[in-house]
Amino acid sequence: MTDPTAITTDGATGRPAPSAGPSSPSADAGAAARRERLGHLLQHHGASLVLLGLAVFGTVAFDAFATGANLRAIVVSSSFLAIVALGMTFVIISGGIDLSVGSLFVLGGVLAAYGSRAGLLAALALPLAVCGAIGLLQGVLIGRLGMAPFIVTLAGLLGVRGLMLAVSDEGATTYLVEDRAFASLGQDGPFGVTWPVWITVALAAAGVVLLQRTGFGQNVYAVGGNEEAASLMGVPVVRTKILVYLLSGLLAGLAGALNAARLSSGVTILGIGLELDAIAAVVIGGTLLTGGVGGVTGTMAGVLLLGVIQNLINQVGNLTSAVQQVVSGAFLVLVVVAQRVLSRTQRLT
Amino acid sequence: MSKQSGRCRHLPLAAVTAVALALAASGCAKTEDDASSQSGADAQAQQQVAQSPAGGAGATCTLRQFGGQKFDLKSAVVGFSQSEKEANPFRIAETKSIKDEAAKLGITKLRVTNAQSQFSKQIADVQQLIAQGARLLVIAPLNSDGWEPVLRQAAAKKIPIITVDRKINARPCGDYLTFIGSDFYQQGRRAADQMIKALGGKGKVAILLGAPGNNVTTDRTNGFKDRIKEKAPGIQISFEQTAEFTREKGQQVTEQLVQSNPDIDGIYAENDEMALGAVTALKGAGKQPGDIKIVSIDGTRGAVRAIVDGWLQAVIESNPRFGPLAFSTAQKFLEGHPIPEKVVIQDREYTKENAEDSLGLAY
Repeated sequence: MTDPTAITTDGATGRPAPSAGPSSPSADAGAAARRERLGHLLQHHGASLVLLGLAVFGTVAFDAFATGANLRAIVVSSSFLAIVALGMTFVIISGGIDLSVGSLFVLGGVLAAYGSRAGLLAALALPLAVCGAIGLLQGVLIGRLGMAPFIVTLAGLLGVRGLMLAVSDEGATTYLVEDRAFASLGQDGPFGVTWPVWITVALAAAGVVLLQRTGFGQNVYAVGGNEEAASLMGVPVVRTKILVYLLSGLLAGLAGALNAARLSSGVTILGIGLELDAIAAVVIGGTLLTGGVGGVTGTMAGVLLLGVIQNLINQVGNLTSAVQQVVSGAFLVLVVVAQRVLSRTQRLT
Repeated sequence: MSKQSGRCRHLPLAAVTAVALALAASGCAKTEDDASSQSGADAQAQQQVAQSPAGGAGATCTLRQFGGQKFDLKSAVVGFSQSEKEANPFRIAETKSIKDEAAKLGITKLRVTNAQSQFSKQIADVQQLIAQGARLLVIAPLNSDGWEPVLRQAAAKKIPIITVDRKINARPCGDYLTFIGSDFYQQGRRAADQMIKALGGKGKVAILLGAPGNNVTTDRTNGFKDRIKEKAPGIQISFEQTAEFTREKGQQVTEQLVQSNPDIDGIYAENDEMALGAVTALKGAGKQPGDIKIVSIDGTRGAVRAIVDGWLQAVIESNPRFGPLAFSTAQKFLEGHPIPEKVVIQDREYTKENAEDSLGLAY
């Protein structure tokens, strides 16, 4: 989807992407350069490669894996996490963390269902306005007042869920989506793939452009890489931070709203632990938790990887919940270890 | 729903005939006394649970009404979607019952998923079961609302859905096939009967409520209170607080209770975990078994053992063994017989008289 070198130039090593020029003095050096390029590729597309491997495995091992219906089920259920993880990618690259997204997701859904009584526009505007405002507030606290993102967004996680419970009468009231056009936004779409999937693809493409091709994107990398240096170079650190949390809040609210459209109701028990899934997807996708490195395509591969792992577990179909957790945990370790090993081989060459 | 056994007697003859057709075995005729007198029978027979229809005068559903096609259960892919981790006795017994019964019937393609208490995952799980070609779905729903995408897909493929233990808010015999579960209101009433018996009709009772905002808690509370009001006006409910169905909270709340209301005579816990928490608290407060009469609902092994030890007076079972009933209902439906739109699973009752002998039946 994007140019891999665009990420690597801003990469962990800080080295420019290697180029195996025709002027290589010897064949050995040429081979080394090729190996190094391969190392780069593996590190930054580790999630994509593991995803590919798992997909091949699934196709061979299970008849019902590589069917249109099953693949559709995977992308449809992954799309909501993908939208949340997209915002999380910006936050983590900027060196922060956003724990409030799970709560914003469920709040967005409840508000969308509530707003749908007044039509499609209200169903979208209400969650975006509220979740955006909360994201903005968190951004201001983190950016302007210099508070720790972990604490600010942890407060958001608790407070926003409380707000949702207040709106939904302690979770006892489930608002049903009244507006047919809004429900259709979550349930219909071209080629048998629902709109949230297309919206995710469009947003991810926009995210790639925003991160790689705009000044804002450069600032996000710069702030995450070294905040003081960025500040000295004249990067608007405060504004950049505020904007990433605003973006994350808006996307979490949007994902919640689209999910409410899909379920035709503002379910109040959603989003618990969603922030951890989003963070996991981002990290699996090659974005460093310390900030400054990462990209959107990796995150999307990470989201799909989580979806495929769950699907494969369901394909087996007789694992107990305990074993399921062990298996998905083990897979995550495997991916991260693979990335680590690959990046070390690359440094050695 | 409120008067399960009572309603059966008042059913019009036509409905009774229909019910008799639908229910080959037992049904309304079976009373609680039958259930408790069976305790000597072998465990296998005990797994067979009685059923009775509820809802509008025995509304039933046939394959033709539903619009589905007959298929062979044994060779079909059957999906079971569990809502919570198998980390508490109820869920363990529920999943085991479905798996065991499928194995017994020779259903080889049973696919089991577990949503780990995440509703989004449960929706994805069921959609993936449909994508795997499931012809029958048994679902233990985490939430009653939000099933639209699943119901749409299932309806398009005419896949019958049987929901167990909790309901889906949708149309039976259309959006889904039928619901199999306990009558929680009735459980509350039966718990009240046991409490009245234990207290001799008068005293002060505290209620440990379940988690707020779900029908299990509301029904078990209302059933208990209604029955106390109509049968034993001498019993006063002087304390009510949620302990969220957990043992720790049950202990915590009871510790406060014995401080603030030292004259309490009985505790009604809306599940076993809270009751066992209460027992720990009472032990800590220096009480002896039987000082405060405790009645609870669920029927876990720990609680039935507590009856034997004298700490609990009675436990009303909430039966998690849906396997036999779920598959026999599906089988009848596929053979073209009418099935009820709601099937009530029969819950046992553990008291001082039968607790020792029935310990093996508790889950």
